[in-house]
Amino acid sequence: MTTFDEEKLQRDLREAAEEFVVSAGAMDRILDEARYSPGSEGPPRLRSFVERTGRVRSSVMAAAACVVVLAIAVPLFNSEGTPRVEVHANAFKALNTRSAPTAIPAAPNSQLQGTVVTNTSAGLTVVVPTSSKTAGKSGANASKASLVSSLRVEEVGTIQLTVGGQKFQSTLTQLTEFATTDGGFVASTQSHIGTKASHTFSNGTIVLQVPERSFTMLVDQVRHAGFATSVVTSANDVTGQYVDLQARIGALQVSRTQYLRIMSRTNSIGGILSVQQQLDSIQSQIEQLQAQLNLLNSETTYATLTVSLSEIGHVVNPPKHPANGIDKAWHESLHGFAAGFEWLIRIAGPLLFALLLLAALVALGRLVWRATERRRSRVN
Amino acid sequence: MSDAVDVDELRMWLEDGYASSVRTAYLILGNRPDAEDAVQESFLRAWKFRDSLVTGSSFKPWLYRVVVNTCNSKLRKEIPHRHRRRSDDELDDVAVIEDRIAQVALTNDVMTALKDLPAHLRIVIVLRYYADLSEHDIASVIGRQPGTVKSRLNEARRRLALHPALRSEAPSPINFRKESQS
Repeated sequence: MTTFDEEKLQRDLREAAEEFVVSAGAMDRILDEARYSPGSEGPPRLRSFVERTGRVRSSVMAAAACVVVLAIAVPLFNSEGTPRVEVHANAFKALNTRSAPTAIPAAPNSQLQGTVVTNTSAGLTVVVPTSSKTAGKSGANASKASLVSSLRVEEVGTIQLTVGGQKFQSTLTQLTEFATTDGGFVASTQSHIGTKASHTFSNGTIVLQVPERSFTMLVDQVRHAGFATSVVTSANDVTGQYVDLQARIGALQVSRTQYLRIMSRTNSIGGILSVQQQLDSIQSQIEQLQAQLNLLNSETTYATLTVSLSEIGHVVNPPKHPANGIDKAWHESLHGFAAGFEWLIRIAGPLLFALLLLAALVALGRLVWRATERRRSRVN
Repeated sequence: MSDAVDVDELRMWLEDGYASSVRTAYLILGNRPDAEDAVQESFLRAWKFRDSLVTGSSFKPWLYRVVVNTCNSKLRKEIPHRHRRRSDDELDDVAVIEDRIAQVALTNDVMTALKDLPAHLRIVIVLRYYADLSEHDIASVIGRQPGTVKSRLNEARRRLALHPALRSEAPSPINFRKESQS
């Protein structure tokens, strides 16, 4: 084992250092320099913050950690905490517009409007209330009875129906009868008749329009006319839009009456022409709004049901049923894999954001730390 | 009034620690002008920021810390540039002459070996064996963990023991004693 001769090194170093003779005026130069230099500056604020207020620094770190956790948790909570249901029908958004299929949070208290998505094959029925601008406007003062009586609801639905062999034509006739019996009519029909010789199956589409009050009954009748593989219905409350149009038309009519009165009192040609111009403009607006009102009236008076009819054997996106346990397990495994992948994609965004935030915080902290270190070394 | 009091305080500091500080700086930097510059700068800084000395903490390690940081700054920024400039332009100015005189003065083998050590190892050796600071104090002076100081000291000792300037000398100022393991 070898040991280092520390005493020898110490002695030699001291001897070497003693060779350095301290110059006589060195200390005086420093004192002179000190007399003409500014006084004490005290510790820098940043340094004192970082070094002396460890509690504050810890608080800042904790706050930063909270921000990061919130940045991760809030988007995840929003994306997964609230149940979201895919709505296949339109939800009324604004005047003269129909919304595209959208996803809205489920609200359990709405009884007046909603979307029913039924998949009879899967045995699943979901009722999704749709949002409406007028729902809040109805207010607590209006009684339920008056609300229901003045209600304007636009109802549409789609049913996929499968019928047995040789029953295609009779089912079509039966559907037509359903509509006419309920006071409605057949809006359009499109069908393809298959033959055994060509090994094709019959299929077609029939659009039925019935009074709004008979819609539910019609849906029920059609569902039992064959084997319904899919039933999708939706209802949009357009009362607000309807009332709004009525009010605007009323206001314009009052304006028109006023202008007519003014016109009757005007004597000059220029004045008459000017008033006439205003009247033309008002009349044009009234007609536009009236057309919209008529359309809305028609849409809310009659509900539309589109029935896709097909013969058994004509496959219309049949849902796969697992044949046995292994098959079922395999399907569930695939489903689980897809769900996991979806989840990964869903959290990737918030996670990326959180990482960026964390990186920014780390960079900031590093900058502060380096500045503090630099300051400290300058002080020392 | 307060300035006069402060300068008196500085005078006390100087009388107490100037000689040891300048010699420490000399051992670290290896030449007289830089050592004097560094210590002058250190004392002025220390006096300027004297409020940052936390009451109750030891003055000696704090002052050494200022000195070592100033020396480090010179080793990192000034001296390499000066050497590069000298090799490029061969300026024959006073500083260069003084440097050369100082280098000639490094006849002592210990100084030669010390000069060949990397700065971070040289500093711990000087603080440990000349300034006689404990490992804990050295850690606080250089702003590292005591474990780091220990490992640096070990590395510095190993290098010094293997340095030719020290091995050729008989008897060597730094040598290894063979000890039989019992």
